[in-house]
Amino acid sequence: MAKDLVNTLADLKEKEALGIVQERLSAGEDPLRILDDARRGVEIVGKRFSDEEYFIPDLVYSGEILKQITDMVKPKLTKAAEVKRLGKVIVGTVAGDIHDIGKDIVVFMLDVNGFEVFDLGIDVPVQKFVDKIKETGSGVVGLSGFLTLAFQSMKDTVGAIEKAGLRNEVKIMIGGGQIDDQVRSFTGADAYGKDAMDAVKLAKGWIGG
Amino acid sequence: MPVIRDIPISLKTKEVLRRVGFREQASLRPEIKSLIDELLAGAKNDFLLEPAIAYGIYPLTEMNRGRLPLEDNGVIHDPLLPSLLSGADEFAVVICTIGHRLEKQVTNYFKQDEPLRGVLLDGIGSAAVDLLAEEACKLMTERASSRGYQAGSPISPGMQGLPITEQRWLFKMAPAQKIGVGLTSSGVMSPLKSTSMIIGIGPQMKTWTRAEVCAQCGLRKTCPYRKGVKGEKQKRGKISKKSPIVHPC
Repeated sequence: MAKDLVNTLADLKEKEALGIVQERLSAGEDPLRILDDARRGVEIVGKRFSDEEYFIPDLVYSGEILKQITDMVKPKLTKAAEVKRLGKVIVGTVAGDIHDIGKDIVVFMLDVNGFEVFDLGIDVPVQKFVDKIKETGSGVVGLSGFLTLAFQSMKDTVGAIEKAGLRNEVKIMIGGGQIDDQVRSFTGADAYGKDAMDAVKLAKGWIGG
Repeated sequence: MPVIRDIPISLKTKEVLRRVGFREQASLRPEIKSLIDELLAGAKNDFLLEPAIAYGIYPLTEMNRGRLPLEDNGVIHDPLLPSLLSGADEFAVVICTIGHRLEKQVTNYFKQDEPLRGVLLDGIGSAAVDLLAEEACKLMTERASSRGYQAGSPISPGMQGLPITEQRWLFKMAPAQKIGVGLTSSGVMSPLKSTSMIIGIGPQMKTWTRAEVCAQCGLRKTCPYRKGVKGEKQKRGKISKKSPIVHPC
């Protein structure tokens, strides 16, 4: 049964996956186990995406299915067993850039993969990142930017976080159209991600999962 | 300076798929195909696409060392301009947009926890801008050929050699505000689903293929949206069916 849900979700068979979840809940199975299987299914989707077997809409589709499963499972959880968030992540498109679609996909995928995400939006001033880190104690910051002009803003944001004395308390990842290791090095970020699944992997590697 | 509206935009699923990063080796899920069809129909029925083109045409009086002097003492800097506008007697500055409505709907979908619809509709918007840019290029070609001229391939701010900061000069030379396009302080167009171009016009203009455009782009190694076809023969010279005027992305 567990294998069924994992593979059914990995194959993006929405109705079947939701049916399996309903059956398992009705049979009184531990909701956390069901959720764990669903997340394993999404991990396979991420692998298939990395292997270019799936494309971005498939990835987002898997996230939507996982979200539905989470919504089905939640009411069955006892308070003690409530789904714990893996950690807090702040995400925003840096100052000067107003591209949001990539950032929105990252926010969604982090959310459905169990992170508490603070989405600061687009064209985010550096101080807003600093203030949010102080306010939330987030351990990960994701800086998004599609344009080359965003590189300097990313560097400025990392610099401001350092100046505020918070650099050792957060891991910083960057992502967007033209990001590579050279850009990462220029900005002073800890890592870069090519896509939303990379962002999830990095965040899991740093603070959860 | 002219403005053109009511431009028919008829998109095919294939064009949208390219813009949402569809990979050749992937198989298209029927649920996603039908959702694209539904969103395409919705975009039409709900008038989410408001295509408009604004342009201005200027004589090319002087150009050297990558500087294109403008009438109001402004200068566009681009080291590639002399070669790109080589042979041009004049140049067109063109700004195209599909308007704000589609972007707002994309944002709504994300807010309503329907990101898949948001992603696909965003792809529809990008594909629509691509098509609109091609329409604008065709318009410039027709306009040029009616006078025995040719239109070259376009160059846009953000492409290699033409920094996005030069965008501000283009906005002084085409009536962007008349079609509702603005610029942020950093030179990004709003609505995002807009594009701007410089096109050389002259007796014999250079054009480049899709592959050549992609080959010049900083994203060429990783871009899932590239139009350039692997192994495509690189051509320069007159416009033909095999070497069409293309717009990046």
